[in-house]
Amino acid sequence: MGVSPRDGTRHPRRVAAVIALAGIVLTVITAWGAHRIDRETEESLLDGQSQQAAVVLSAAITVIEQPLEAALAAYDSAGGANGGAVFRRFMSEYVGEDKVFQNASVWRRTGDGLDRVATIGAAPTSVVRAQLRESFASTTTTIRFVNAGERTQIAYARADSDTGTLVYAERLLPADRRAPVDRDSAFSEIHYAIYLGDEIRADALSTTDVDPSTLPFDGITATEQVPFGDKVLTLTTTPRDHLGSELGQQLPWLLLIAGLLLTAVATHAGQQLARGRLTAEQDADTITALYERAETLYGQQRELFVSLQRALLPHVNPQIPQVELATKYVAGARGLDIGGDWYSIIGLDETRYGFVVGDVSGRGVDSVAVMAQARFTIRAYLVDGDGPSAALEKCAPQFDIGRDGHMTTVLVGVGDWRTGEVTLANAGHPPPVLLTEDGASFVDVPPGRPLGTGVAAYPSVTVRMPPGSTLFCYTDGLVERRGEDIDVGLARLAGLLVDAGPSSVDRLVERALDTMRSDDAPDDIAVLALRWTGERVRTDLPGDVTAPAAARRFVTSALADRSGEEASPQPDDLALVVSELVTNAVRAGATRIGVELLVAEHRVELRVDDDASGWPTPRQAEDGDLDGRGLQIVEVVADEWHATELDRGKQVTVIWSPPAPGSGD
Amino acid sequence: MIEFSAEMDPETPHVLRVSGEVDIATVDDFLARARRALEGSPTVLEIDVAAVSFIDSSGLGALVRLRDEAVAAGKTIQLTHVPRQVMRVLELTGLSETFLDQPGD
Repeated sequence: MGVSPRDGTRHPRRVAAVIALAGIVLTVITAWGAHRIDRETEESLLDGQSQQAAVVLSAAITVIEQPLEAALAAYDSAGGANGGAVFRRFMSEYVGEDKVFQNASVWRRTGDGLDRVATIGAAPTSVVRAQLRESFASTTTTIRFVNAGERTQIAYARADSDTGTLVYAERLLPADRRAPVDRDSAFSEIHYAIYLGDEIRADALSTTDVDPSTLPFDGITATEQVPFGDKVLTLTTTPRDHLGSELGQQLPWLLLIAGLLLTAVATHAGQQLARGRLTAEQDADTITALYERAETLYGQQRELFVSLQRALLPHVNPQIPQVELATKYVAGARGLDIGGDWYSIIGLDETRYGFVVGDVSGRGVDSVAVMAQARFTIRAYLVDGDGPSAALEKCAPQFDIGRDGHMTTVLVGVGDWRTGEVTLANAGHPPPVLLTEDGASFVDVPPGRPLGTGVAAYPSVTVRMPPGSTLFCYTDGLVERRGEDIDVGLARLAGLLVDAGPSSVDRLVERALDTMRSDDAPDDIAVLALRWTGERVRTDLPGDVTAPAAARRFVTSALADRSGEEASPQPDDLALVVSELVTNAVRAGATRIGVELLVAEHRVELRVDDDASGWPTPRQAEDGDLDGRGLQIVEVVADEWHATELDRGKQVTVIWSPPAPGSGD
Repeated sequence: MIEFSAEMDPETPHVLRVSGEVDIATVDDFLARARRALEGSPTVLEIDVAAVSFIDSSGLGALVRLRDEAVAAGKTIQLTHVPRQVMRVLELTGLSETFLDQPGD
């Protein structure tokens, strides 16, 4: 698998770009929206203010128009010579330096012309007669711009066509047209420019509060028109600062900045997250692939180990006369590693066989290696002729838990299939069960230390298996259960062996595993069941003079099927030997004499045990010497003999074992 | 019961016929009969062992003693018709020459 992203949309850069774009767009839209809202608010506020200003302007206009109307009416009503004085007196309030008008005058129409008949203030300088004539035709005040030298004036003329009189006034505009605005007035928050007429033209400008060169206004403006005589005044306004709230003005910028910042943060965060997710996905892919691979290897390795373990175990058990064998190894349920349990059966010589059940601690290749070493080392010693004790004692120094990492418990047995005797030695291993028709009992083989834990002595125990009895050996995986004392498991095993009743050894092994083992048990188990089916050829005799004859008959019938000149021993020789030995026992004062015959294909063993004291010593008998000839005969007739001390008495063993053709180890 | 007998035929007073098994159980009986036969016999007592099925060192020991007693009395004993098993034992004990065909030492 590669490390490229699975899906384009998940690439961190693209994620960042998308987030950034979205953020910027949103920010711009929002800021623009706020700006638009602010602007509309501003416009509507300005409209309101303009309208207010227009109202004020209208009122101001009235202040200008009304006196003219009233002055004309006053003149007309006074009439004659007084009219002028009345007019002047009336207009004096309005005419002057800082007053509304620079001058005011009354005119009378005479014929086609007009005469000025009264004046207040300076003489009007810029009368435009056309305007006067137009006044008569108009019902309102006529208003004109007129030039007065360098300044501009507004000329007002109001006529009464009935009386033929007209009032005329001139008002001076500031040179710069500038008229400052009162702080509290309606014009305080706005700039204004008033134009005479309905066009916004520089030469139509009447008054303004800004520098005329900056006109007309741009940005947010509002326009109102106010009737002014026969003309209109056009009022244009623009906000001085910001009519609306400070916040409204700042908001678009705040939104823009905040939006951009947020976008930047979100972009960065988004990129990080996408990157992290990408990494996680890549890791997940890697982990999945590795896991799959590990599982495959796991399966292969376990198979390999199982094969290895099986290869080390005997495939086919050797056939041993008069012995029925059943063996089984079961690998632990859990995990990859194989445990180090094993069993071994070895034919040692014509009459003896060895058997071993062992358990290496732990798991894995190491434990299998230790198992192999233990198995083959013990086997070598047994084949070499060592008994179980000696084999273990020689083995122990070759193992070291510190170096090997494992310790090993072993049960070693050497059996004689002719007699059913089994000698056992034990290195920390659980005791075997002896199952007879009387029940099941654990054979107490005093356990020495497990191999690898130090050098120790391994005392041996010899068991005479009754004919048909079974010795059941196993490893602790069979009897151990978590949370349970091992004694419970041992009792369970003994119980099930008894309950099994008459069963073949194979069946016993099967029953034991089925009953004792749960499917998920982690430990592996090795089991060995050994049944001796032979019969002991033995007779026990009272220690009297009839004993030798009885012994002779016994061995002769026991050896009856061995015939031919090649047979060793010849029946006569055997009878002679047994007669000599039994006679010696009788003479020594034995009360009980046992005669046992152990027959194998190429070996016959005669054992005579008695409870008398004394020790057989062959003497070179001279003529006339009655005693001592017996053993002399034995020495000549048999291949070997030896005496063994018993608890009470002794046992003399005589062996005929001609070398068989083709044998030799 | 162990089979044993040692008989003298009146027509052949110098022959003792022994049959059966001569071992610790029967050796005393054998010696007694053999001594009587020796007393009643001339210089040579012939012991016919054709029917002896078994003899061991106990039986041989008795024969050796009998021979010694015979020699002391100026007589000899002779084993005749020695069967295989008896011969074997005589050979095993190196007594074959003593008891066969050679009167005296």
